[in-house]
Amino acid sequence: MPQLIPFYFVNQLSFSFLTLLALIYIFSKYILPLFTYQQVVRMYITKLSNK
Amino acid sequence: MASKTAAAAVDFARIYSKLGLGKETVASLQAFRKRHADAQRIHAQLSSQPTTVDVAHYRNILKNKSIVDEAEKILKDFKPVTYDVGAHVKAIEVFEAKAVENARVTEKKIDEELKDLQATLANIEEVRPFDELTVDDVGSAHPHITKAVETMVKKGKWTVPGYNEKFGNLSLM
Repeated sequence: MPQLIPFYFVNQLSFSFLTLLALIYIFSKYILPLFTYQQVVRMYITKLSNK
Repeated sequence: MASKTAAAAVDFARIYSKLGLGKETVASLQAFRKRHADAQRIHAQLSSQPTTVDVAHYRNILKNKSIVDEAEKILKDFKPVTYDVGAHVKAIEVFEAKAVENARVTEKKIDEELKDLQATLANIEEVRPFDELTVDDVGSAHPHITKAVETMVKKGKWTVPGYNEKFGNLSLM
């Protein structure tokens, strides 16, 4: 039944959405803040050493 | 009593010089010691004096024997007044208990301070050079940085103003 072919991709679609959501969550919560943290700390200790 | 033997073994010269006591404390401690020494001296003086009266001697010297008899009678009838020292002893014991407790509290405080100082000393000894410092070290030394970063991220502020000017930008895009 060729009219059903698009539905064969539903599992792939749903899994890719789920993976995307998980990646966004993990990056925004655990990985990307570390870069900001590092930048803040760098600025802080640079200011400390310039004092 | 353990506290009494401890009090007897106190090295006062060390207490005056080493413990860093306040002037008032040292002065009152010295006054107390002086009082104690005076009391001991007076006690020794008085206890070395004779407590008996040689009545026969006076009987030989004096002509008026009836006076001697009377004096002897009065002497025999004399009874020293007894004081109830229980209250004083109790007060002293209460004072001692308080002093011992104070000393214990001070000891505990000093112990805590010592522990703090030891921690500081360990910190100083284990200090690393500046280029071995990690981000987490700085974060744990200044927790307000961690909090600031959290609020920055919550507000959607991901960059630090002036960072790129100072350290350059390594991103390819």
